[in-house]
Amino acid sequence: MFLRSGANCARSVAGPARTFATLREIEMRLKSIKNIEKITKTMKIVASTRLSKAERAKVTAREYSSAERQFYDSAETKPLEGEGQKKDLVIAVTSDKGLCGSIHSQLSKAVRIYLEKTPNADVVAVGDKVKTQLLRTHSDRVKLAFNGIGKEAPTFEESSLIANKILQLGGGNYSKISIFYNDPVSSLSFEPRVKPVFNEAAIEQSPSFAKFEIDADSKVSQDMFEFTLANQILAAMADGYAAEISARRNAMDNASKNAGDMINKYSILYNRTRQAVITNELVDIITGASSLG
Amino acid sequence: MFRLSGGRALLRSVNTLGRRTYAEAAGDFLKLQFALPHQTLFAGSKVTQVNLPAQSGQVGILANHVPTVEQLSAGVVEVFEGSSSKKFFVSGGFATVQPDSTLSINSVEAFPLDSFSQESVRSLVAEANKNASSSDEKVAAEAAIQLEVLEALQAALK
Repeated sequence: MFLRSGANCARSVAGPARTFATLREIEMRLKSIKNIEKITKTMKIVASTRLSKAERAKVTAREYSSAERQFYDSAETKPLEGEGQKKDLVIAVTSDKGLCGSIHSQLSKAVRIYLEKTPNADVVAVGDKVKTQLLRTHSDRVKLAFNGIGKEAPTFEESSLIANKILQLGGGNYSKISIFYNDPVSSLSFEPRVKPVFNEAAIEQSPSFAKFEIDADSKVSQDMFEFTLANQILAAMADGYAAEISARRNAMDNASKNAGDMINKYSILYNRTRQAVITNELVDIITGASSLG
Repeated sequence: MFRLSGGRALLRSVNTLGRRTYAEAAGDFLKLQFALPHQTLFAGSKVTQVNLPAQSGQVGILANHVPTVEQLSAGVVEVFEGSSSKKFFVSGGFATVQPDSTLSINSVEAFPLDSFSQESVRSLVAEANKNASSSDEKVAAEAAIQLEVLEALQAALK
């Protein structure tokens, strides 16, 4: 509908003849752009108000996951290698909602590139956006999908439920687990990132595992793996949420700006056309009057 | 270094001993990171001692503790900063001592001990007791976990 009326307007601008009908069309189009601007402005304000909350959630979740990250760093944990028959697991974290620029498609692109390189990888899709995009190309790889994500800042309950489902799927049997998520680099940009989660065998075979004094019989590494999985999913979700909100704010900001530009252009066009119509009518009246007189 | 294996009575006696060692351990402090999913309680602040409710028994951690990973059960985490101490009740989690004398505690929930009310704990215990004998296996299992946490909480509040 917009497309067609846009095309009509374009023609009317190009063509020399301006009639009353196009004036009406321009008026309608102007009104609809004004409405769109109102909507995008409101969405931008909503995103801005959510931004601070999302940032806070991101900072606490980062602090939370960095405590664990330190353990893996000092234990020098690496993913197990040399087990070609075992599969990789990819957890792709996005959300259900669009209207936030290319943030979801960039993540799916990163996942797709990874899937091309590792043909034996399975995918768990968190959020509808990445699910629909991956189902188009790699429908046989998507083993599990979650929706209802990203309406609010993520909580530990959500992430532990997701982790639980992944573990029921046999998450511990995958030799390598990678979480793909959007990292908010600054308030204006984001970047798809990957981080690993190590399963219990990888934890126990870490080169510097002996540095730590751990009870061998209390299954610490298994519990640790499960806890870490939930925590890292939470951190990825919090990062992704913050990235998405700021991306949405920027996208809506740009959309409002573009709408403003279009409104300016169309107001000028509208006024000119109106003027032309009035002049035409005046010419008609004057010629009519002079021929009579 | 000051690893205490189990036993509250033992812990109490070593507590006083721990206090005496503050003077000699004055130079190097324990760095505490205490993080919850929704809140950061301590972000690398210097403390003198932390007592943890580990699954293998109560553990007191001082500076330069040997690197270790402890799984926490429901109980009280006590943080000593100089002469004052703060008590938090945690539902569980993990505590990791890094080689650089940093203690990281990751817990799902933690609240100051004085923010709990005895009455509501008591009523929750009664409710959990009722559910524990439920025929539904899932409800009973959840109630058993609830009871475990609540009993630890009750013991800590006394």
